[in-house]
Amino acid sequence: MAFCGQRLSLGAQIPLSGSARDRRSASAAASASAPIPGHHLKCVLSSAKIPSPKFPTTWTRKKTLATFFSSALASAAGGGFLLHLSTPVPPPGNTGGGGGGGGWGWGGFGGGEGGGFWSQIFAPLAAIAREEDPAGGGGPEWDVHGLPANIIVQLSKLSGFKRYKISEILFFDRRRGTAVAGTEDSFFEMISLHPGGVYTKAQLQKELENLASCGMFEKVDLEGKTKPDGTLALTASFTESTWQSADAFRCINVGLMPQTKQMDMDADMTDREKLEYFRKQEKDYRRRIDRSRPCLLPMPVHREVLQMLREHGRVSARLLQRIRDRVQKWYHDEGYACAQVVNFGNLNTKEVVCEVVEGDITQLVIQFQDKLGNVCEGNTQLAVVRRELPKQLRPGHVFNIEAGKQALRNINSLALFSNIEVNPRPDEKNEGAIIVEIKLKELEQQSAEVSTEWSIVPGRQGRPTLASIQPGGTVSFEHRNIKGLNRSILGSVTSSNLLNPQDDLSFKLEYVHPYVDGVYNPRNRTFRASCFNSRKLSPVFTGGPGVDEVPPVWIDRVGFKANITEAFTRQSKFSYGLVMEEITTRDETSSICTHGARVLPIGGLSMDGPPTTLSGTGIDRMAFAQANITRDNTKFVNGAVVGERDVFQLDQGLGIGSKFPFFNRHQLTLTRFVPLKQVEEAAGKPPPPVLVLHGHYGGCVGDLPSYDAFTLGGPYSVRGYNMGELGACRNILELAAELRIPVRNTHIYAFAEHGNDLGSSKDVKGNPTEFFRRAGHGSSYGVGVKLGLVRAEYAVDHNAGTGAIFFRFGERF
Amino acid sequence: MASQLAREWLGIQQFPAATQSKLHELLGKLKQENVSTLTILVMGKGGVGKSSTVNSILGERVAAVSAFQSEGLRPMMCSRTRAGFTLNIIDTPGLVEGGYVNEQALEIIKRFLLNKTIDVLLYVDRLDAYRVDSLDKQVIKAITDTFGKRIWWRALVVLTHAQLSPPDGLNYNDFFAKRSEALLKYIRLGANIKKQALQESVTPVVLVENSGRCKTNENGEKILPDGTPWIPNLVEVLTVVIANGSKPITVDQKLIDGPNPNARGKLFIPLLLAFQYFFVVKPIQKAIKQDMAKESKPLWELRDVGLANRNF
Repeated sequence: MAFCGQRLSLGAQIPLSGSARDRRSASAAASASAPIPGHHLKCVLSSAKIPSPKFPTTWTRKKTLATFFSSALASAAGGGFLLHLSTPVPPPGNTGGGGGGGGWGWGGFGGGEGGGFWSQIFAPLAAIAREEDPAGGGGPEWDVHGLPANIIVQLSKLSGFKRYKISEILFFDRRRGTAVAGTEDSFFEMISLHPGGVYTKAQLQKELENLASCGMFEKVDLEGKTKPDGTLALTASFTESTWQSADAFRCINVGLMPQTKQMDMDADMTDREKLEYFRKQEKDYRRRIDRSRPCLLPMPVHREVLQMLREHGRVSARLLQRIRDRVQKWYHDEGYACAQVVNFGNLNTKEVVCEVVEGDITQLVIQFQDKLGNVCEGNTQLAVVRRELPKQLRPGHVFNIEAGKQALRNINSLALFSNIEVNPRPDEKNEGAIIVEIKLKELEQQSAEVSTEWSIVPGRQGRPTLASIQPGGTVSFEHRNIKGLNRSILGSVTSSNLLNPQDDLSFKLEYVHPYVDGVYNPRNRTFRASCFNSRKLSPVFTGGPGVDEVPPVWIDRVGFKANITEAFTRQSKFSYGLVMEEITTRDETSSICTHGARVLPIGGLSMDGPPTTLSGTGIDRMAFAQANITRDNTKFVNGAVVGERDVFQLDQGLGIGSKFPFFNRHQLTLTRFVPLKQVEEAAGKPPPPVLVLHGHYGGCVGDLPSYDAFTLGGPYSVRGYNMGELGACRNILELAAELRIPVRNTHIYAFAEHGNDLGSSKDVKGNPTEFFRRAGHGSSYGVGVKLGLVRAEYAVDHNAGTGAIFFRFGERF
Repeated sequence: MASQLAREWLGIQQFPAATQSKLHELLGKLKQENVSTLTILVMGKGGVGKSSTVNSILGERVAAVSAFQSEGLRPMMCSRTRAGFTLNIIDTPGLVEGGYVNEQALEIIKRFLLNKTIDVLLYVDRLDAYRVDSLDKQVIKAITDTFGKRIWWRALVVLTHAQLSPPDGLNYNDFFAKRSEALLKYIRLGANIKKQALQESVTPVVLVENSGRCKTNENGEKILPDGTPWIPNLVEVLTVVIANGSKPITVDQKLIDGPNPNARGKLFIPLLLAFQYFFVVKPIQKAIKQDMAKESKPLWELRDVGLANRNF
């Protein structure tokens, strides 16, 4: 049941191997996954097989009980309880007898007379028992029985020195007078012997004792039948325990309740005493039921169980076993990994009471570990971790593995820890209770990094030339988790040319301060401040179709930015802040330019293009307020994005800066992902076809420098055109529709897009759209296919009527 | 401009006597209407005969003319006075270069015209250019963008090379009517003038023939194929346009820069901001809250908060 998450560099995705299934497969999964050593395991969420089996005190045969449990625990130690270990095979022929105590311990109570109290113990080990068999049997060597063929031999008549080979195991129901057919029957789960194994007489006797004490049988016997080839055919003839039929079912949660203590019934009690004893017992049980809490089991399952009871008539051990399996299956399917049916009570009355320990959490422990895995004092404040935990992991709630996974994901998204384990552990002091343990390994607080790279930059005519191959590099440092409150400072300096770093040096220095309202306040606001610079090619100064290459204009920005981001959900957020920046426009030779240029037909340059800056000097300084609200409820349905995303962005000039810029620049983007078919949400199911509708409106009132004008055309505007090929304008409207059809494990899509300047190109100073002979509007349509991260698409430019194939990274919407 | 002092209009004396008297009569008429200065702006595509027209009107060779290449790269103003009346004619370089409107030339013209008042625009094109195309529209649009729509109420369309034999099967007047109608249509399109608006005052079309081989009548006046002497005719139409009640266009910095889009609506920004806050940001915030409430929680979470009621 251990599941392990590998932290991928992408974050978010935590593959989980193995979940709470029924116990056998779960323990098998544990033994399979545990021994992978030194793997890049980041998170291990293991749920140990908790509620230590309830040791029934209603036991009459104490001696048997003791031995039984020693064996159960011995093997349990191997597989079920401590899931991080691989499964060490118990030494062959241990005290547990054949196969170390066998799968199912059913602590039985003499059925009919005893006041209807029935305990069972679940030791999880059927799977392990099987694994052990060959070893436990001592290999292929066995002794011939040395008896005439085809005679029935009582177990006691067998020789204690011989190792018998059991070639066949049969169950014979005495009451019905038939053999139990099929090996899938629950009986076969109970017996740890299996055909082909080699056992000694002592082992067989042990097995018989186990069967007799497991509670399923009123009476059970083992007989051997000699076979001509020297092997034995084993027949277990039994009378099943049964109780009177019931027509009601009740499921109660007995977690955290003390175990009922039952007095031994004295053999020489008078009838009156007996009667009184039973009455007292019944009263006690009623009180127990009253004190128990309601359980989570829903009505449909409840009804299903009732149906089973009704169909079956008399309540038999096998029926109870099936009920137990059904109830437990529901719990485990729903992620209640620690839930256990511990007991059936009130038998021999009209009502069957199923006692469940659901796995109530009594304690939540957060521990830090050092590199060696020792518990140490962490730097991170606990409140930072605690606020990431779903409240379902707090004491008083029932442990659910999904809540554990969520905790794992949330903590992982803090990016503070290299290893995270969420571990439910049985509480020794409180039976049936769970302690949730969270073990965290912190990342180094400070880190510095230097990386170098060679980049080939396009030279003349777009071809890389040898002279333009430059060594580049990045120096970055990071100071994380300052004061243990996840505050961080990070800085980086990048140059694409280390030989001449002053040419192209970009830097970033950022301070992040989460929990502005305090760690204990549920409001999640983060303050960020950063100094930055950037250099971008302006798409405003781009030629239309058929225009010779336009001399590029580079926009250099240096500035300071401070904002507060409030996260509402994982995706929806509202941020607002202040930006102060200096914008410098430069031409190809890195000298400041004030106007765009165009190559004239005669070959000269016309330098009287649109002004590049508001001030007209090539350098603008301005301060403005910025706000952005994002509403995003998209989610993945079988791998396809479905939902709605609205973004409103606003830059409000404050009249501070060169030429006192006062403006209101706003953009509203609405995107809808509409599934065209209802599909079942499950792993491996095909995603629905999705229709994506997208609208983008942008506008600006007031001072609009050319570098802030909206540009039309490009992979994120109107596909099929180059960046800015359609125009630069004051108001913009883009409409797009895309139909995605899943094919295999990817999708193909068809799209149509339109972008329009709404006639506002002339309202940009210098009318760059017209100056560079652009259309100001345009449509495109095409088809494409998604290949991993890459989109390959064929888009037809509607203005020119020609199509072209494009390869793009990432999503358009 | 200041360097170019208005000279006496000597060229008028070279005109035939009939023309001279007609011109004097017209100028006198203008003077009566208190118009003592007339500024004529001549614009058009390259090589249509702008400079030649200027020379013809003045009767002097003021603008260099060449048949094979454009001569005037800069605008040029000629001022002539005659009997207290000043005539300014501004010749401009061709507006077309390389198949596009030459913004540079337009820019130079604009700067040249700064602080001048334009009484009449002569939009010059050739009569023998059979077709009109989008380039004409662009040129007209460029002129409109520079001086505003109003200019077309103060404009004359001048068609040069009037002395031609029309293509087969058309008589001269039909051809002229068709050609001028097509051009006017493009002016309406390019200047974005509504049809009715233009019908009120149709931009007049005047024919011109600058060639030395131009026929003359018995008085020695240059005449058109239909027999009208064209110089007096042109000046007459000019006076009609001036008298049509529209105002002359004064070119100032504001006109050259065009309306400043950056200044438009600035006052409404606070209002706009309030609108955005209350009608965009708030609804989105509300929608986010709804999303949070509607978010489908996993069953285990619902059971935990006691919403299951044992139904699932």
